Amino acid sequence: MLTQTPSTSTPAPVEDKSSRKGRIWRRVVAALLALSVLLLVGYTGVSFYIATQLQVGKRPPIYATPASLGLQYKDVTFPSRYDNLQIKGWFIPGILPNGQLTSQRTILLVHGIDNNRADPSAGLLNLSSDLAHHGFAVLAFDLRGNGESPAAPRSFGLYEQRDVLGAVDFLHSGALPYPELGRTHAIAAWGDSLGGATVIFAAANEPAIKAVVSDSSYADVLPRIERGVPAAGVPAMFTPGGLVVAQWLYGVDYYNIKPASVIASIAPRPILLIHGADDNKNHRTTPPADMYLLAAAALGAQNANVQTWMVPGATHIQAYHVEGQVYVDRIVAFYTAALGPDTSGS
Amino acid sequence: MSTHSIEETTAPTQQPVEAKGSALHGVLIGLIPLGLLAGVVLLAVIATAIARELTVSGGFYAQQEAALITLIIGLVLAVVVFAIACWRVLHLVGLWQKAGAAVQAAATLWALGFTALVIISPILLALLLPQHPAP
Repeated sequence: MLTQTPSTSTPAPVEDKSSRKGRIWRRVVAALLALSVLLLVGYTGVSFYIATQLQVGKRPPIYATPASLGLQYKDVTFPSRYDNLQIKGWFIPGILPNGQLTSQRTILLVHGIDNNRADPSAGLLNLSSDLAHHGFAVLAFDLRGNGESPAAPRSFGLYEQRDVLGAVDFLHSGALPYPELGRTHAIAAWGDSLGGATVIFAAANEPAIKAVVSDSSYADVLPRIERGVPAAGVPAMFTPGGLVVAQWLYGVDYYNIKPASVIASIAPRPILLIHGADDNKNHRTTPPADMYLLAAAALGAQNANVQTWMVPGATHIQAYHVEGQVYVDRIVAFYTAALGPDTSGS
Repeated sequence: MSTHSIEETTAPTQQPVEAKGSALHGVLIGLIPLGLLAGVVLLAVIATAIARELTVSGGFYAQQEAALITLIIGLVLAVVVFAIACWRVLHLVGLWQKAGAAVQAAATLWALGFTALVIISPILLALLLPQHPAP
């Protein structure tokens, strides 16, 4: 034993040093791997939170019906195009100067995010009443995920356009809310914010929509989300992860929701773009510049028919409240020029 | 693997070629955890899309629940598979180091280090990529 000890112990320090070095490197790499996985798990967790928050909206109650303004109306339910969600709404017939009801020209009224067909903040019931008293029937409905319509992923117009297309189908071939008034001959659309973007998407795909008024729409939803996430107190670095997880969970590609990329397809049908000059003062809504981006994109079509109206002093979706009768007169003139006069009373 | 490396030392003329082969082999072994992670995440995303489609008739909340559960289970599974794969590869590296296959062991460690960089790259990109500031 004693004579063997030097011969076996001589190489041992070299081997120990090398194996110790190897063990240190293995531990360094293992620590790097563990750290990177921990960071990624944490990042993914916050991304899940953002993705689900993007989908969960408020559902304020419908505070009043058209009857509160003395209007006749019928509750209607119709399936969205392609995915058959049962969309809830009101059909309000137009009123001619002689008091006769009409459904010859119908305006699809589309509300903004986290709201419903009566949206008091934008004054939708009053706007419906104004349009009805100018002889336009109004089909006001709750977009999917809002009001009394079924829950659905929020897609900032991409899927919501199916509800507008369903409304067109309903007017063309659904049960008549007022059989004595017959079918609608001409359809136009009005929408604000999310509704404004949604009617652009829908009109780009449906030629039966003869004219579009889009109030306070975004040109591209991504900047709005990228500004909105930090404004809600979550660091901006989590936004891309949230959008990727949202796409995995809900199939919604938020990088591709750009009304500006489809608006040129509406030509030669007329478009009226309205925006409040004081929009986005809280950095959470839509900058006025988006109206010009949309207009520029729409003018990309050779036969484009685009009007713009920047309303001074108006914040997000407040142009109707600020301008009042001027707003009504302007959109009534726009719709009348696009759809022609009502001939049912003649 | 260790036998192969030990043979290298007995054939000096073949050493550069065989060392290169060992390094490549070590890199490939080191990338196995990353490949498994990517594969399981991909499967989790596909399974989530299928779960979403299968629950369409149940409405949004059923769809959301199915998608969330499927994706979370898939991602947890991916992390577990990745951790086991990393542990086994590191164990193998230890054996190679003891057997004197230093080139192969070092190549594998470099590949694992690269794996850590790839895993953290989404966070680095999210930090570095420009986003739309508040106007």
